[in-house]
Amino acid sequence: MRDLKHLLYFENLLQEANNALVAQAKADGRVCIAYTCENVPEPLLNLAGTCSVRLFAPHTGSMDIATYYMTNLLCEPSRALLERAIEGGYSFADCVITPDGCTMLNRAVENMELLETMGKDNPKFFHEYMEIAFKNTESDVALSVLQCQNHILTPLQKNYGIDVSDEAIRKAVAEHNRLCELIRAIGDFRKGDQPRITGYEFHVLCLATYVCPAYLVLDKLEATLKELKTRKPDDKPWRARVLLVGSEVDDSGLVKLIEEQGAFVCCDRFCFGSYPGRVPIQLNDQEDALTQVCRHYVQNCQCPRMMNQEKVYGRKQYVAELAKEYGADGIIYEQVKFCDPWAYERTLGAAMLEQDYGYPVLSVDRPYNIAASAGQMRTRVQAFVESIEIKKIQRGGKA
Amino acid sequence: MKTVETLVNPVKRTGEQSPGKIYNEKLKVRARREWRGFKDTFYDYTRWLYLMSVLGRFILVPRNVKGFFRYRWMMSYLFVPHGMDKFTIGLRDEALRIAHTSFNFVIADVTQAIANCFRGDRRVGNDKAYSDKCVLTDENSMVTFMMGFDTDKVHTILREVPTMFASNIFHQFNVMHYLDIAQQYGIPGDVCPMPEAEAGISIDDDFCVLGCCAVQNNTTCDGSLMGNGIIAKRLEREYGIPTFQLATPLRHKEPDVLEYAAREIKEAIAFVEKHTGEKWDWDVYFTSAKRVNDATRCRIAQMEINSTPYPQFFGAAFSLYNDTNYMGNSGRNADFVKIDHKLLALAEKGYAAKRMYAKEYRHRCIVWGVQPQYIIDQLYWLVQCWGVVPLTDMLSVVNTDMIAEEDTPENREQAYRDMAMLNMEMIMRNHTHGGFRVLVDELWELCEKMNADMVMMWEHMSCKALTGMHGQFEEQARERGIHLMWVSHDLCDPRVFTRQAIRDQVNSYMRTVMREEPLDPSLENIPDNEAY
Repeated sequence: MRDLKHLLYFENLLQEANNALVAQAKADGRVCIAYTCENVPEPLLNLAGTCSVRLFAPHTGSMDIATYYMTNLLCEPSRALLERAIEGGYSFADCVITPDGCTMLNRAVENMELLETMGKDNPKFFHEYMEIAFKNTESDVALSVLQCQNHILTPLQKNYGIDVSDEAIRKAVAEHNRLCELIRAIGDFRKGDQPRITGYEFHVLCLATYVCPAYLVLDKLEATLKELKTRKPDDKPWRARVLLVGSEVDDSGLVKLIEEQGAFVCCDRFCFGSYPGRVPIQLNDQEDALTQVCRHYVQNCQCPRMMNQEKVYGRKQYVAELAKEYGADGIIYEQVKFCDPWAYERTLGAAMLEQDYGYPVLSVDRPYNIAASAGQMRTRVQAFVESIEIKKIQRGGKA
Repeated sequence: MKTVETLVNPVKRTGEQSPGKIYNEKLKVRARREWRGFKDTFYDYTRWLYLMSVLGRFILVPRNVKGFFRYRWMMSYLFVPHGMDKFTIGLRDEALRIAHTSFNFVIADVTQAIANCFRGDRRVGNDKAYSDKCVLTDENSMVTFMMGFDTDKVHTILREVPTMFASNIFHQFNVMHYLDIAQQYGIPGDVCPMPEAEAGISIDDDFCVLGCCAVQNNTTCDGSLMGNGIIAKRLEREYGIPTFQLATPLRHKEPDVLEYAAREIKEAIAFVEKHTGEKWDWDVYFTSAKRVNDATRCRIAQMEINSTPYPQFFGAAFSLYNDTNYMGNSGRNADFVKIDHKLLALAEKGYAAKRMYAKEYRHRCIVWGVQPQYIIDQLYWLVQCWGVVPLTDMLSVVNTDMIAEEDTPENREQAYRDMAMLNMEMIMRNHTHGGFRVLVDELWELCEKMNADMVMMWEHMSCKALTGMHGQFEEQARERGIHLMWVSHDLCDPRVFTRQAIRDQVNSYMRTVMREEPLDPSLENIPDNEAY
């Protein structure tokens, strides 16, 4: 296919956390809110005068200093973030809001705070840690509301004078929904036998919506959507269509590597992906916006830390439904090495998707920066693609 | 660097002076028993007989024999007497009696737990009427939500304690099989081995199958939370045992999580009521609450004694007894009250007589982090071999606040918050979760309070909450002049660090950094890597 007009622009934005759009948002006078987890309600970080930037650490190489602080037993993303913070890579942040979602990311941010890696020259700078929901009950919604009030809205209002009214939240949700709808519409071009966008291209666009101020990427996304409507797909079919599920993937190189083996990544169900992070939030006028936003996050959360059995089984069903909707031939469950929540989720998910739903599954762990171990992953994916092809032949279809 | 005055024991120890000599590398148990002088050897022997009587009574029940041959982990309990000896190395007088009193009680409690499991187990005892009144809970679980149920009518079964936790103490290799099973299933080897082993037992279908329902929780760590899913799947889908997931907030020091935690407790109680058909009884609850407060007072008193130059109740027995009492009992069993007071009386007597556990006390040490199961006697070794007194360990530093114990309408509401607070302040997680202040800052406060010049930091390789603060511990200990001794281990898996490899880290630190010689060179290298 012909290259997307803005792909290079988006790829360049992903070269560093402190990218051109972050600088532009700062120049616009926005308060840049750094956060680390999909469980933080994004619209609350994108109120008038603020913008959210989800922390990531592209091109991670050495993590020696972070390894001294956290040992090599913690997951690489947490160490990579700390290393980047120590290097000064997140100096743009005006505050950091992090949930106590997984222990390792939480410890990474705590180390950032103790080492004073950010906000030295900003007297208004603050760190906030949130408790987040464990289950999808109304009690958890109430917890989430209280936590968002105490650890997001009140500090923003107190320190930066941000308008946190119901009206302001509704406006932020409307903008968030616009972004989600754009990404979803772009993602829909992955459906069907002749997709008009590759999984890699989609991931670049989607990732940019997390790590850049969202209000600055909308115009390019709209242009890309328009371009896709007339884009001529490749004639050559993919060898297999796979759904990528797992822990955070903020390295588009992983998706690229998978697709280089002939497996089209037709859908993304991971942190930094479009499911569930880019599902629009439906608001009504009967209830306050904050509660509805929190309910959306509690109900739609697919994080393995959600512990009630309805969610445990529901996560597998969610993956199966996505696989069906996007016509996946197989599922890749990936996990960054040393990630406890996804270690178990991957194991149980792989077993259930295979046994209960009948999908071929590749269950694999990986380094944070896939370039560090591309050969191993390439071999695993190649073997998986071949196994899917063999299964197709055995069922009487074409490879 | 901070220093403390060396304290020399004016009294020469009766009997054997070099207990390291009784280890024999050809045997999986010690070559012989320790000679402690007539009085203490006789006492030790009577306690040995008591243990044999506990085990004998257990095995006389036919269903227990059946269970012994059904479950792989039961083999561990053949080595209970040998296991008990680990806790009494070099001990005399009150110290010996404290160790026996506390740990024998724990053994009796675990034995009863196994008997209860077998009684209701569908494969062994199959007492359905009994099983229908049993509630399964996790091993690392406060059972506060059971404090208001009559123990004669509703039975709390901490199924994982005898199966995994205790059996690993008596037989260091017991858990390896279940870890292999879990990893064969696909769980990586880098997660915490304790919940992984529990998941492995479930995958291997080697848990007793009983109970009308199960309450799981997230009290320890991400691994523990996630292991629940695998266990619940077998319980619910294969055995039809409904499960409830009791969510316990992580940031337990923040006041804005308490109401949520209290609501969860209410939900758990309602779940138990629904499945057992029994009602919550406030009289039972407040009686239990009084016992919880009593246990708290005793624990505080023990800690105060340990803050003096003559600490009395410490080491693994202190930790395991407190775990059992605080977490597994939570005021439900009146027998613990008697034991609490007996232990306190012994400690006070020992303190009055200025009893010491070793020839010299050179360093006063706080033990932080999570202890390995397979070298649980390490702290006794530490004081005997190097004169480093383990004043307390992280797992024993738990709640010191009193809870409401009078039955009033206000206190009934307060009770849910009290149970929630205790649940959140469960052993270990009250330090490993809740932010760095409870893990790092509270350690230095404790060093100050207990006049410690040294910290022995258990670095459990897969405990991410603790290792995530590795550098902060290093730097802050240096700033405060505290000797920080890292000791790595793997909690349940001796293949990663053998017992001697663990001791060698201490030996190496004491020789090279502290430039000291051992008090008892016979203990420096003990050939027990292959022992049970």
